Amino acid sequence: MTTRGEDLIRRMAAGDREAFGPFYDRYAPLVYPLVVRIVRDRTDAADVLQDVFWEAWQGATAYDPARGSPEAWMITRARARALDRVRALRRRSETFVPAVDEAPAPAGAGGDAAALAGDRGLIRTALAQLSAVQREAIELAYYAGLTQTEIARRLEQPLGTIKTRIRLGLERLRDAVRRVT
Amino acid sequence: MTSDHDVFAELAAVYAVGALDGDDLVRFETHLAEGCQRCTRVLAESREALTRMALAEPPAPPPAEVKTALLARVREEEPRPPRRPHSRASWVPWAAATAAVAVVAAMLSGGTVASRYEARLGQMARETAAARERLQRNEAALREEMTVYRSAVELLRDPATRVVELRGAGPSPEARGRLVWHPTAGGHLVVANLPPAPTGKGYELWTLGGPAPRPAGVFQVDASGRAIHRVEPAPGAVAKFAVTLEPEAGVPAPTGPIVLASR
Repeated sequence: MTTRGEDLIRRMAAGDREAFGPFYDRYAPLVYPLVVRIVRDRTDAADVLQDVFWEAWQGATAYDPARGSPEAWMITRARARALDRVRALRRRSETFVPAVDEAPAPAGAGGDAAALAGDRGLIRTALAQLSAVQREAIELAYYAGLTQTEIARRLEQPLGTIKTRIRLGLERLRDAVRRVT
Repeated sequence: MTSDHDVFAELAAVYAVGALDGDDLVRFETHLAEGCQRCTRVLAESREALTRMALAEPPAPPPAEVKTALLARVREEEPRPPRRPHSRASWVPWAAATAAVAVVAAMLSGGTVASRYEARLGQMARETAAARERLQRNEAALREEMTVYRSAVELLRDPATRVVELRGAGPSPEARGRLVWHPTAGGHLVVANLPPAPTGKGYELWTLGGPAPRPAGVFQVDASGRAIHRVEPAPGAVAKFAVTLEPEAGVPAPTGPIVLASR
């Protein structure tokens, strides 16, 4: 059984330009909020978004459904590129921290918006089951790109404590996601 | 399963969120490379779970101009020969190219902290592990790439290693370069924004320090202006580096314009 997303990627891998538009429409609304959260600036986020989708177009042949969902494929790539951008910006200006410019989001931004909104609520519920310190450690790693040593230093906790928080938090997250999906 | 494996369960979690560093990273990657199915499964599940977490961000509409720009780029791209997904022929160069782009980006973006490179290597080791499974023996190209990256990371750990910036000069002011250089081990030159050399030409690296510039190899950049060039150690002290445009076979002494130079 193949999903619509997998089908689009397969067509892109075969060089079908017509598949790119629907692919973008399907995944850009999923990927963009993560990129915004990581880079915090909408102009930078737009650049990163473009890079991410261009890479997906060019690298579609490498997608292997056995190794993960199209969502994971895109989200993993988006996170990596967004963190690259943040690191580059941080070096350019060590002190400049832009505020997040929050804009209200219109309803129905993506093809699966309604389904996603439902999922979103469920995942939020799942995330609420993580303790505050578990969630903090996972978020510092995932969204801020800090390593375990950097997290331990920042939170002034022993490295072992940080590792344990990440493991327990991720176990709960996996369990919760398993129940939801 | 024995409780010995609990250590790896913890490392797997930290690895999954991209935060493993130092000796832990090496230890876990070795464990993974030995083919631990349990950890492989945990990583895949974690990746999907983290994806769900990322998808739970408040919605934000992507800017319309991004789609417009991308559609134009896709439309204008030269037609590609159709390729079979996951075939050997297409997968290896793609993986190598992606890995190369990732490493070039990491090296050029300047974090000289070994852990950052290791994080990259972590991803690449995973890719390599998967490639091994699929390609069986045909991963020579990837192995070669990995060797380059591993040795770059090892070099960065050595206090004798210098990181030398090269600036664009003459015809290519936008070009940038960074050379990870060790006096006895040699190093790697990473280049970006250098226009591909005209037909019949190539870029030649020179080490400066003796009475005359010494040739240190000819390289080509890819279509996006990037290159990684292995540099053999040079006899005697090396103070500076420069790159000139030369005939593609290389010349014993520089004749063309300087396109990149260290200060």
